[in-house]
Amino acid sequence: MSSLAAQTLATWRRLHWSSLLCLLLLTIGGVAFVYSACYRGDGLPVAPFYRKQMYWAVAGWSALFVAAAVDYRRLEELAPWLYGAVIVLLIMTLVMGVTMNRAQRWISLFGMQVQPSEFAKLGLILMGAFFLSRPGRDLESPWVPLQVLLLLGPPFVLIMKQPDLGTAMVLVPIAVAQLWVAGVPVRYLLRWALAAVPVLPMGWLMLGEYQRNRLLVFIDPGRDPLGAGWNKIQSEIAVGSGGLWGKGFLNGTQNVLGFLPRSVAPTDFIYSVVAEETGFVGSVVLVLLYGGVLWGCYRAAVRARDAFGRLLAVGVTTLLFTHLFINLAMTIGLMPITGLPLPLISYGGSFMLSTLLALGLVQSVYSRRTRA
Amino acid sequence: MSPPLTRSQIPFLRLHLLIAGMAATGILLVAMLWRIQVARGPRYEHDLALQSLRRIRVPGMRGRMFDRHGMALADNRPSYAVALYLEELRLAGRRSSTEIEALVKELSERLQLPPTLTRQDILTHQRLRLPLPLVAWRNLDDAALARWAERAADLPGVGLLIEAERMYPQGALAGHTLGYVGRADPVQDGDQPYHYHLPEMEGRRGLERQFDALLRGQPGGRLVRVDVAGFRHDDLGVRAPEAGADLLLTLDHRIQALAEEALAGQVGAAVVLDPRNGDVLALASAPGFDPNLFVPRVSAALWRELLADEDKPLIHRAAAGQYPPGSTFKPVVALAGLELAGQRPATRYDCPGYIQMGRRRFACWYHAGHGSLDMRQSLQHSCNVYYYRLALEIGPEPIVRMAERLGLGARTGIELDYEAPGLLPSPTWKRETQGDAWREGDTCNFSIGQGALTVTPLQMAALTAAIANGGRLYRPRLVQGIRAPEAERFVEQPIELSRRMAWTPAHLDIIRGGMRDVVMAPRGTGRLAAIPGIPAAGKTGTAQYGRLEAGLKYGWMIAYIPAEHPRYAVAIVVDRALSGGSTVAPLMRRLFEGLFALHPTGEAG
Repeated sequence: MSSLAAQTLATWRRLHWSSLLCLLLLTIGGVAFVYSACYRGDGLPVAPFYRKQMYWAVAGWSALFVAAAVDYRRLEELAPWLYGAVIVLLIMTLVMGVTMNRAQRWISLFGMQVQPSEFAKLGLILMGAFFLSRPGRDLESPWVPLQVLLLLGPPFVLIMKQPDLGTAMVLVPIAVAQLWVAGVPVRYLLRWALAAVPVLPMGWLMLGEYQRNRLLVFIDPGRDPLGAGWNKIQSEIAVGSGGLWGKGFLNGTQNVLGFLPRSVAPTDFIYSVVAEETGFVGSVVLVLLYGGVLWGCYRAAVRARDAFGRLLAVGVTTLLFTHLFINLAMTIGLMPITGLPLPLISYGGSFMLSTLLALGLVQSVYSRRTRA
Repeated sequence: MSPPLTRSQIPFLRLHLLIAGMAATGILLVAMLWRIQVARGPRYEHDLALQSLRRIRVPGMRGRMFDRHGMALADNRPSYAVALYLEELRLAGRRSSTEIEALVKELSERLQLPPTLTRQDILTHQRLRLPLPLVAWRNLDDAALARWAERAADLPGVGLLIEAERMYPQGALAGHTLGYVGRADPVQDGDQPYHYHLPEMEGRRGLERQFDALLRGQPGGRLVRVDVAGFRHDDLGVRAPEAGADLLLTLDHRIQALAEEALAGQVGAAVVLDPRNGDVLALASAPGFDPNLFVPRVSAALWRELLADEDKPLIHRAAAGQYPPGSTFKPVVALAGLELAGQRPATRYDCPGYIQMGRRRFACWYHAGHGSLDMRQSLQHSCNVYYYRLALEIGPEPIVRMAERLGLGARTGIELDYEAPGLLPSPTWKRETQGDAWREGDTCNFSIGQGALTVTPLQMAALTAAIANGGRLYRPRLVQGIRAPEAERFVEQPIELSRRMAWTPAHLDIIRGGMRDVVMAPRGTGRLAAIPGIPAAGKTGTAQYGRLEAGLKYGWMIAYIPAEHPRYAVAIVVDRALSGGSTVAPLMRRLFEGLFALHPTGEAG
């Protein structure tokens, strides 16, 4: 027992501490801005989301340290089982999930509302890394991309069914990045990408009414300014009016006055609260902190002892980056509104837990790095 | 050329490319953030203000008007209103019009006031004026206020609002002159438009209208932030409105009351001026109206009634009524003869009761004839024939010139925009307007104040004052002082001398002597105006109007008192009179009695 403890301590000593510091600041900032997003003015009660977010953050950090202590190589054999487990959970979600805001995304596990799609991302990352790093895998084979696509298919379709187009779409860059870094020849990647083009119109037909509206509104924001275009216009106003230095913590008005709908201010649109209150300076700090976290993941991929570890780190890096980019771009009107949360900041327990867990695995890869 | 990559190197190169791509995207993102937050920040700030800031115009407290003794003639009183604060009602989880309607009903029961708000009112308010309190009842009386304190003050989202309401403490006194206020249409001022206006009063008539800009003061504003539903969220700033200026009038409420009492039951006008400076001590018109009935708006029924009334109670006859002056014009003719045509006072004309002009006969009112009269006697007896002959001798031009100098045919310049100019005919005027030559018959009519000539009572009072004070024609002054808000003292308004006439004292003595005889001599036409102890001077007049067969006459009297060192110059005219001497002279006496009962010394204050 004491040898296990000593081993754990030794592992933790080899963690990437600078990226963990960035991560810590982001988590604390997240709790603070969930509070601010729920703030409605002096003397009025603040919705207790920030407290729940704090509990989830503590749980997430515990998971991070546990995951960092666990040797990621023991997950290699477990990967197909974990992948299978999330598929089962996703099916359960569709069958017996809880419906909120027109989508069936949650199931009750051990008395808690859990969002299996958040863990499905992790499951796919592990499965992709496992599949591409099998000894004797012929990466030159033109069928490898198709095989990965088949792995991607079930969670993608199941999440899309909820419907949660944003989360489903995030799975694609993860798989592509893993294929890319694994060393699959570019010509095959291009060939399969071209093969996917005819599928896009079919995708349009598969979209729900509100999803199509979001895309149309992105093309023409004036199309429905009080309906589908509202969030886009209001979040842009919030971000833009923040200016260079921002209006100060709790001094943003867009969410206090309800122009930024209260249902999305602490979740998908939390960045507009951050940007309104901290301005361009705060935005840059936010991007830099994410940069620090991503840098840690990148270092883990570079120094990984084996291909599985490297692809695991690449998957997590891509997941984090995709979320960050899409969320910010959506908030400032550069992309259609897809409903992707901002990692570590947006209110949401499952995503907080799964993100920190994934980063814990990356730390596990880094702490068992090669000496080179 | 570098050597081709080994298979094991590929993942690392691609990894570096991946992170480089991410870094580049990150930099692009930061550039976009710069553009939206810094480069275009002001534009979004403007959008933010546009959707969440509302300016509300708040009227200033309207200035008051006082009579010369400081008695308030136009004042403001607090009016209590029950208002619903919709943003508070919303916090209590109630926002629909149905629930507001229920609350109004509940309040109506508790306050025992009939419900005034309809569902439509509530919906309109929610749609157009959401950040403002919704007023349910205005003008609560004491009983309702007591019930409020007892039973309703604890209801959430409901409050008492104090508004200033215009009132005229003396009721109908000087109503025509003061005028009244009505609810103003919302005004927009250019670059910073107001979103909402609190009820604001504007002067609609009389001094209220003439001095509206001064009385209104400077409106203030409130800047409120509204939330997405349009409810008031908080107040960002207040610019206090500036109260309006107060006016100190020359009117003396007691003299005004005397003038109005003199006219009681009559249709007519009475003007009392201070001949020493042109101050308007009273400006009365009958019938009158109570301006309080016009605040905040006149009822449709009353308005119809006022418009339909044949006696036209809304017209301020003292300044806007145009009457033929009749014999009160004779002093003007006499002055014209003496001053402008070289007539001598001692010249006598014989009155056989009429003069014959071709086929027309111009009668004297005294058909038996006055016999031979000099000028002073002609005034006392108001002999028409004397004036026919005098006028025929000197021609119309000197009379026109003298009348012009004395201010007839032109507005006096009193501070009332509806003042009428009257009409001073002349040969030129007749040629230009009627294309006809001035005939001797016109001269005869003109000489006794008939024909086309019309005057206002105010003009006649000013003219009388000029005779009383030896030839100084003042612009009648209604406002003697203006006090800026917060200021201690009234700023004196100038006394304006319109014209100073250099009359020969001997000539003036003839006119004044004749006018004194009118009142003081046993057979003077105005002897019924005399009061014991204080000699007065005056001139009566009677002028026909309407169709001849109807026999309608205006009765006139102009007068000043005391005859030496006059302190009051008065003009009174009434409709449907028998004659000036029999109908108006007694009214003049009552006014004189009142004046000297007020001030035994005759001092105007």
